Amino acid sequence: MHNVIRNFKKNKELLFMVLPVTVWLILFSYLPMFGIVIAFKDYKIHKNGFLYSLIYSKWVGLKNFEYLFKTDAWLITRNTILYNIVFIVTGLIFSVTFAILLCEVANRRLAKFYQTTMFLPHFLSWVVVGYFFYGFLSIDKGFFNQILKIMGKEPVLWYSDPSPWPFILIFMNLWKGTGYGSVVYMAAIMGIDKTYYEAAMLDGASKWQQIKHITLPMLKPVMIILTVLALGRIFNSDFGLFYQVPRDSGALYDVTNVIDTFVFRGLRTFSNIGMTAAAGFYQSIMGFLLVLISNYIINKIDSENALF
Amino acid sequence: MKSKVILSIVMVGLLALSIGLAGFGEARAAAKLEPYEIIMYVIGTPQKDLDLVSAELSKYLKEKINTTIKLRQFDWGDEYNQKMQNIIDSGQPFDICFVASWAANFLRNAHNGAFLPLENLIEKYGQEMKAVIHPLFLEGIRMKGHIYAIPNNKELGKQSVWRFNKKYVDKYNIDITKIKTLEDLEPYLKLIKKNESGVIPISADRTFNPYLPFDIIGESRTPYGVYLDTKDYKVINKFEAPETKETLKKMRQFYKAGYIRADVATTIKGDDEKTGKWFVGKCDTQPLADIMWSQTLGYPVVSTPIHEPIVYNESITGSMFAVSVTSQNPERAVMFLNLLNTDPKVRNMIDHGIEGRHYKLVGDGVIELLPEHRDYDMPSFALGNLFLIYRYQQDPPDKWEQFKKFNAQSKKAPTLGFVFDPSPVQTEYAAVCNVADEFNAMLYTGAVDPNVYLQKASKKLKAAGGDKVMAEMQRQIDKWRAENSK
Repeated sequence: MHNVIRNFKKNKELLFMVLPVTVWLILFSYLPMFGIVIAFKDYKIHKNGFLYSLIYSKWVGLKNFEYLFKTDAWLITRNTILYNIVFIVTGLIFSVTFAILLCEVANRRLAKFYQTTMFLPHFLSWVVVGYFFYGFLSIDKGFFNQILKIMGKEPVLWYSDPSPWPFILIFMNLWKGTGYGSVVYMAAIMGIDKTYYEAAMLDGASKWQQIKHITLPMLKPVMIILTVLALGRIFNSDFGLFYQVPRDSGALYDVTNVIDTFVFRGLRTFSNIGMTAAAGFYQSIMGFLLVLISNYIINKIDSENALF
Repeated sequence: MKSKVILSIVMVGLLALSIGLAGFGEARAAAKLEPYEIIMYVIGTPQKDLDLVSAELSKYLKEKINTTIKLRQFDWGDEYNQKMQNIIDSGQPFDICFVASWAANFLRNAHNGAFLPLENLIEKYGQEMKAVIHPLFLEGIRMKGHIYAIPNNKELGKQSVWRFNKKYVDKYNIDITKIKTLEDLEPYLKLIKKNESGVIPISADRTFNPYLPFDIIGESRTPYGVYLDTKDYKVINKFEAPETKETLKKMRQFYKAGYIRADVATTIKGDDEKTGKWFVGKCDTQPLADIMWSQTLGYPVVSTPIHEPIVYNESITGSMFAVSVTSQNPERAVMFLNLLNTDPKVRNMIDHGIEGRHYKLVGDGVIELLPEHRDYDMPSFALGNLFLIYRYQQDPPDKWEQFKKFNAQSKKAPTLGFVFDPSPVQTEYAAVCNVADEFNAMLYTGAVDPNVYLQKASKKLKAAGGDKVMAEMQRQIDKWRAENSK
């Protein structure tokens, strides 16, 4: 106890700084967590308010989860996980590469310009991006089809042909996410002690050797942390990307239907708070398990870089 | 013995006293109501003068039923749905909200107990409105015998029309009254395609669907229902019906001939209306729609009906008010709704705003809008009995008579008054809805070959548990028929 108080006194400025976030987390993340029980209940509204309704609604076990494991379940789970794995891998490679490249640009002003340009898509909503992209893929006035026309080729019905869509989605995700993703890595690179590079240069190391033997190893902890955190969201998908960008085209469902869009389409009008809660619960619990497992594995291989 | 007699006298006395007191209490309650404030959610783009009108309306209601009102408004679409759903799920107290088959998840929330059953309250406090609302509305709205919302009295049925761009109708001297089916339309589509380059013969987006003679049960996007002229109420999958196949083959032919845009299945909202370069489209009508459309579009259109008006469950649940289970005083809420449907002063104030500020009366029940009107522009159809609203100067004098005539012509759909409860097959229903979303737009617009895709869709529906959904529908509908001797 004494220790706790002393510790508190010693770090009071730091603790004060995390106070707002702590309060926020408790209010908006921990407190509502008891609402998870809705996923196991047949929620009926009662006039005595939310808590009363929650407590007195009937328990239904796992019934709310069933729809996630019927018929299309395999397809949507496969799509969700595969896309996310590709997103994590490509996102990591591109973010790190661009971060290193940007740090190597000698002209600081130009580097800032590139960085801002790459960062910009992050602030656009998928709805806007979806329309913007429609300008490229639209059948009669689209940019791509105009080019095909000039080249004397048949126009492509982009929104009816599933085959290019996995690539389109991966590209769009990169286009929107790379700038944002590279910021953390750039900060980490800035934090690397310059003397390492000076020493390497004195020894005659080339740029490539410097990157390979100094920058990348120093970035490893950040890469691991970000990847493990991304694994925690592997069952969640970016709704806007999979719904707005393909314009909800039925012909593309085989490659664009993911857990989030499936839940939205199935419960849009007959929304049932129990079933939606079940979907969220399922996604979080699977993500949580994945984080634990991957952290366990990292602990075995390289305990220094494990999250906890 | 003696004590027993005394006891019974005392008992009788007490009983008489209590009855007397009760009667006295009732009389007093009617004479003087407790003050109460109604919180009411309406749909539409939030208006600047909403509070002003709330205050003015409160003044009037204070005299009438000792009530004040607080109007709150959320914007069309997702905003209204999501905000209302949050308010409902979290059990916040409010009195009245706008609901519809397409807004605030009416069916689901009614099943979940979010709205009060109103039939007893209507008997007590709503006799006047019961007399003016078309009986088919109140008949069709019942769910398991209860009335969970009060329909806004307006046009009853749904009627699809072919809407033509008058420019081309005049140019080619087309007699549109003879056009009903896709076949009737075909020669003219060909004509337009040949002679008018740059004009799209059928203006349509992904929501386009040709008329098919079915009464769909539950969600309109699912393919399960009965034939409109059914006698045995057998639930069918319309993707397997020969009528569907024939119609969709025709659509496919149109699509291939270029009468409809190649990317129609993914077009969210086209800009045809703005450019005016279109020949015909399919719309839902209401009386005087041609005048209204021509005004909004800025160029003349004419229309011709595809079928007679039909009263579906969906069309009568198009605009309603529900009373929340969290209301502190549901009696007062119903009293207010009663006024909204019978008192022209209340009805017009909530619709047009304050006289002298937002509009001025220029005749008996005829108004002219003032510039301030832009701060209070409300959706008339979503605010109670339509027949009480003052006419605009440009409206024909028999405006509401035409509505009444339209209602008199309307035919009942076979399942009117039956409401499907999907909760026993919720898992399958969610999957079925996904399949429907996948195929509807492609099939109805002719973007894919129906010979292949109808089968594909049916197969996928089966895999999603469609047969179970159909069996449950049949079970519920048979039960409903037995109860209502249909």
